[in-house]
Amino acid sequence: MSESGAGDATVAPVLSTVADDDVFVLQKYETLEKERLFYLGPRCKDDLSGSIDEYYALDEIAQQLKRHADWRKITLQFPDSLVHDSSLVTQLLQDKFRDDDRQFWVVADTAYSACCVDEVASEHVSADVVVHFGDACLNAVQTLPVVYSFGRPQLDLSHVVNRFKEQYEKDDKVCLMANAPYTRHIRALYDELKSEYPNLIYAQINKNLLEHNCTIVGHNSEADAQREPIFSLGNRVLLADDAVEPISSKPMDAGYHLFYINIPQDPHLLFLTTQFQSVKLYDPKNADISQGPFPSLMKRYKYMHIARTAGCIGILVNTLSLRNTKETINALIELIRSNDKKHYLFVVGKPNVAKLANFEPVDIWCVLGCGQGGIILDQYNEFYKPIITPYELTLALNEEVTWTGNWVVDFKQVLNDIGKQIEQSDTNADSNGGVDSDEDKPEFDLVTGKSVSTSRPLRQLRHLELEAADGSSNNDSSTSSSQGLTQRSTNGGVIIKGTVSTSAGYLQNRAWSGLGSDFQGQEDFDEDGATVEEGRSGIASKYESDLQKAKRS
Amino acid sequence: MVAFTVDQMRSLMDKVANVRNMSVIAHVDHGKSTLTDSLVQKAGIISAAKAGEARFMDTRKDEQERGITIKSTAISLFAEMSDTDVKDIKQKVDGNSFLVNLIDSPGHVDFSSEVTAALRITDGALVVVDTVEGVCVQTETVLRQALGERIKPVVCINKVDRALLELQVTKEDLYQSFSRTVESVNVIVSTYADEVLGDVQVYPSQGTVAFGSGLHGWAFTIRQFANRYAKKFGVDKNKMMEKLWGDSYFNPKTKKWTNKDTDADGKPLERAFNMFVLDPIFRLFAAIMNFKKDEIPVLLEKLEINLKADEKDLEGKALLKVVMKKFLPAADALMEMIVMHLPSPVTAQNYRAEQLYEGPSDDQFCQAIKKCDPTSDLMLYVSKMIPTSDKGRFYAFGRVFAGTVKSGQKVRIQGPNYVPGKKDDLFLKAVQRIVLMMGSRTEPIDDCPAGNIVGLVGIDQFLLKTGTLTTNEAAHNMKVMKFSVSPVVQVAVEVKNANDLPKLVEGLKRLSKSDPCVMTYISESGEHIVAGTGELHLEICLQDLENDHAAIPLKISPPVVAYRETVEGESSQVALSKSPNKHNRIYLKAEPIDEEVSLAIENGKINPRDDFKARARVMADDYGWDVTDARKIWCFGPDGNGPNLVIDQTKAVQYLNEIKDSVVAAFQWASKEGPIFGEQMRSVRVNILDVTLHADAIHRGGGQIIPTMRRATYAGFLLAEPRIQEPVFMVEIQCPEQAVGGIYSVLNKRRGQVVSEEQRPGTPLFTVKAHLPVNESFGFTGELRQATGGQAFPQMVFDHWSSLSSDPLDPETKAGQIVTAARKRHGMKEEVPGWQEYYDKL
Repeated sequence: MSESGAGDATVAPVLSTVADDDVFVLQKYETLEKERLFYLGPRCKDDLSGSIDEYYALDEIAQQLKRHADWRKITLQFPDSLVHDSSLVTQLLQDKFRDDDRQFWVVADTAYSACCVDEVASEHVSADVVVHFGDACLNAVQTLPVVYSFGRPQLDLSHVVNRFKEQYEKDDKVCLMANAPYTRHIRALYDELKSEYPNLIYAQINKNLLEHNCTIVGHNSEADAQREPIFSLGNRVLLADDAVEPISSKPMDAGYHLFYINIPQDPHLLFLTTQFQSVKLYDPKNADISQGPFPSLMKRYKYMHIARTAGCIGILVNTLSLRNTKETINALIELIRSNDKKHYLFVVGKPNVAKLANFEPVDIWCVLGCGQGGIILDQYNEFYKPIITPYELTLALNEEVTWTGNWVVDFKQVLNDIGKQIEQSDTNADSNGGVDSDEDKPEFDLVTGKSVSTSRPLRQLRHLELEAADGSSNNDSSTSSSQGLTQRSTNGGVIIKGTVSTSAGYLQNRAWSGLGSDFQGQEDFDEDGATVEEGRSGIASKYESDLQKAKRS
Repeated sequence: MVAFTVDQMRSLMDKVANVRNMSVIAHVDHGKSTLTDSLVQKAGIISAAKAGEARFMDTRKDEQERGITIKSTAISLFAEMSDTDVKDIKQKVDGNSFLVNLIDSPGHVDFSSEVTAALRITDGALVVVDTVEGVCVQTETVLRQALGERIKPVVCINKVDRALLELQVTKEDLYQSFSRTVESVNVIVSTYADEVLGDVQVYPSQGTVAFGSGLHGWAFTIRQFANRYAKKFGVDKNKMMEKLWGDSYFNPKTKKWTNKDTDADGKPLERAFNMFVLDPIFRLFAAIMNFKKDEIPVLLEKLEINLKADEKDLEGKALLKVVMKKFLPAADALMEMIVMHLPSPVTAQNYRAEQLYEGPSDDQFCQAIKKCDPTSDLMLYVSKMIPTSDKGRFYAFGRVFAGTVKSGQKVRIQGPNYVPGKKDDLFLKAVQRIVLMMGSRTEPIDDCPAGNIVGLVGIDQFLLKTGTLTTNEAAHNMKVMKFSVSPVVQVAVEVKNANDLPKLVEGLKRLSKSDPCVMTYISESGEHIVAGTGELHLEICLQDLENDHAAIPLKISPPVVAYRETVEGESSQVALSKSPNKHNRIYLKAEPIDEEVSLAIENGKINPRDDFKARARVMADDYGWDVTDARKIWCFGPDGNGPNLVIDQTKAVQYLNEIKDSVVAAFQWASKEGPIFGEQMRSVRVNILDVTLHADAIHRGGGQIIPTMRRATYAGFLLAEPRIQEPVFMVEIQCPEQAVGGIYSVLNKRRGQVVSEEQRPGTPLFTVKAHLPVNESFGFTGELRQATGGQAFPQMVFDHWSSLSSDPLDPETKAGQIVTAARKRHGMKEEVPGWQEYYDKL
């Protein structure tokens, strides 16, 4: 089977069930040489555990843990990029608690987004506290106390300064920002550049967002806490030494450019591009500036239009710990229903192309996830159906086409918008109220330029209810035929137990509808079927036929 | 001066044998609308004085201003024929009154789709040809289209006055020019005519060719002259007609007819056509234009022309116009030709039915169409939408092919995607009102029987552009029209003011409804694209969008071209992709499809909706396909009908049919967005060679197969010498000799390739035909005008897709630069991913 020439292919293939090693290769784990040098600094070559101890500020963590004697069960959560440090970290921490009876668990391979605290996994071991390592979104979690250790990466400041100077003019308005670990260098960078660039501002972590039971270790920014922020942007506050005019709407409108250290995840990057005039990324890994291609908001505009004419929306829950998740789901469902569209609710663990493509009837996905890393942006067009955010869905389901150019991932704001929209549509419905005979007219799909009649499958349902309500429908002769229509409505949906099922409708439209259906078109198709013959026997791992074959060879 | 009432017309509509549905088609500026005006004059809608200038059929302001027709316009006319004329009609007739439903169509190539829409609902065509310019590119295009739709042509050779006044040709020259034109028309006719139609070539001697001048309002057929002379000579009229055309001479001395051009003494004889037909006309022209006051009254008396007192004072051209109009009224000649030689719906639908109807030709609906039966179930085809004065609403314009449509009637509205038995694209609605279209006016009627053309009110919201209306749920669709042009020029539009977005969205919807061919969509990078057939078409569309449909200021990008992705060879190795769970594998190879097959798919000759056995037969017989392969076509893509195919070449693969839906879905996706720069694929055939599937259904679901098939398709595609295709225009330029040099230099600069250059016999005009990439055509007209001192005007029409020979994956080449620029614009990584990206090792 090693050659796959054309000649080979015309030969009938081996039955799929033959369980040779070749067929069932499991995805072998590819061991990647993990590069630690760029964040731990040169010291890690000689003294790995020492540098890791320092990098994660393990002493501070230990202190924090010791302060709370009731935290007996401790989970250590690592993102994929740092999971190779987990064993060392656990060992070092256990060393520090040799006399204390504390239990440590490593939580890795987080199902949703690594920047969020994985409460569910921690609760599996009924943990008392989570220590979260690496970059974090600082989004509020439901209950557990959290200790954040961003890590203390090294940065060649002079190099960054040089690269910065290549990029900007003296009087440019620039904001310095970094992901959580690198934020410790921001102030120093600011001080270096301040004298030459008078219009410089910088971003620090907004600690006001933290709940009382959350602490950050290894990150000292006391000096900045006193300053009055110019603007608060997500989990950051923008600061400056001198009195800079506060930003009223967006840094973009005030003419600010962004210089960001490290490469943010796509959703966050998209957010940043909507907030600043331009974005330049400094990648500490290869010490270079990256300028794109960045995710484009205009592509989202297209998706928003796809959602307008989508009949079936899959709500994909990609977080379990974010606050307001449930409320948002409920509000979204109400909004979708009020637009006569069908929805299905999905939790698939870590979403990937194959998982989502399994649900073919879904026209568009709406993902609920952390704005920093929990939203799938599909930069390479891999996903079968587009994925949008709740905010975009809200825009799409607005009767009038709107596009704000904003990228909103905060559930609270979305909830607000949905509330407003539902209210509005209620009043609209009241004022319309009367009979609109054209209400099942097809909609024009701007994306393809065609008209679609499948955009509002639940309309049929309303018709059903109406017809049931006034039994003596005066639709004269067409009553019988329109009855026929509702059973399998104009959009291919099927009515099951009083609700429209777009997926059942989809299944009905499949060419292959079960065993034997593929033979129906053939000339020699025999209704009676073939005579029953004895088939294979045995168990799946070793059928009799396989055993015999093995014996022969 | 309305010569008929709506009631009169309505009663005529029932006598279907006396109805003629016809379109007027021609090259741009050959005088369709002007000629039509003289017909309208006969029907009495506009005053006689204005005919020839009014352009009654150009209902839009910009049409009047530009002097070109943009939208096709319909009008119903009423004609009364004499008993002798009626006797000569070779098909069934019912009385002396006739109803002519006429559609005037635009001549500019960019609006060919309007012509297609007009042809579908008519049975005959009046082909107008300019005496001087002869048969031009658009004449050929529209004639070909007409014949493809089984439309019978008659010809009117127009602007004869120009030949007489400007070129001062001799009678024999004029005859030769006429005969050449007739011949070139017949060459096209015999090439493209359907056998079913029989002999549809045009013959002056049978009265299917008229000669005249729309501007001066006169025209004649040989039949008319034959009528006059038949009495005089006491010969049978039909024999006379034979003698008045071709190599037939009259010897005045012997009073004998001969077919030799010399008499017994070797003296030259004058051709009968010149002597009997052209001579009076030439003499009139000479007398009037040379102001021979004394000669004129004699001539007039001889020809039995009576002038009114005030007309007698006229002289020169004005007098010529009046005299010619009285001598040979254009409307009489044309009406006679239309009524006598174009088929009635009864005649035409008999041979057109099979081609019009998607369903089996022996079902009741096809039979009803064949018989043009007004009592059967309704079959109505809506061929276009016409804007009403009520903004955003449209008349659905179409033809009743069977049954009778009544106002208030509940009908089934079947869109183009409707399949009998399914409920997609189907609506049950009532027709609110029915109207007759009269130029810019409408006249309401209560009902309309089979064979007539109508406008419907109240169903526009359920159809985008076209559709079928019926009353029986077993009825199939009428066949969808295929356009000869393709929207290959596109621009991105954007609102200037963000608050106007909803208006733009509504405007785009209205725009795509109002034009049969324009396309609006959103590009991969989120821009609103408007695509048209050429710069003029796009200009008109955008103007409509900005001023009318959306009525907001717009930002419009420079025009760009739509490309296609294709392959040149067979995949150099078998492409293999594994599913995400590694348990399923697809082996395939990509190879190119012959251009003829691609064209046949694009023209609907090979149709995904046909029965697969019949289709396989056609592909095997006409295109040399292997029958087994042809039978195992899994799907067409993209959109289920494009010129890319998936062929199942596997042998005995278990569960194969189970994944067919997933493979089809994946191929639609892959062929819609090719791997090079996300453009549609074209002429790509994917042969699935082998498939390995997991034994458990759960592990071979859509989620595993769809991404895998797409990857495999991309890998196979990239392994098969990928190329990009650009659209190419056929350019036809008519100009005087001295301008030819300028044309060549401009063409050279723009990668144009000259196909032919010939002088039009008898004129100083040259015709240059060339292929010009659409990408290079922007601003071509202007530059050409400059280079030739305004003497050359190009007609450009989409001709074919042409592969760029260079490798698109190499950013250094011409194709590579186009690809890189487009990828950048769409926010993709600049280099095209290699096949390895999609290929899995075994």
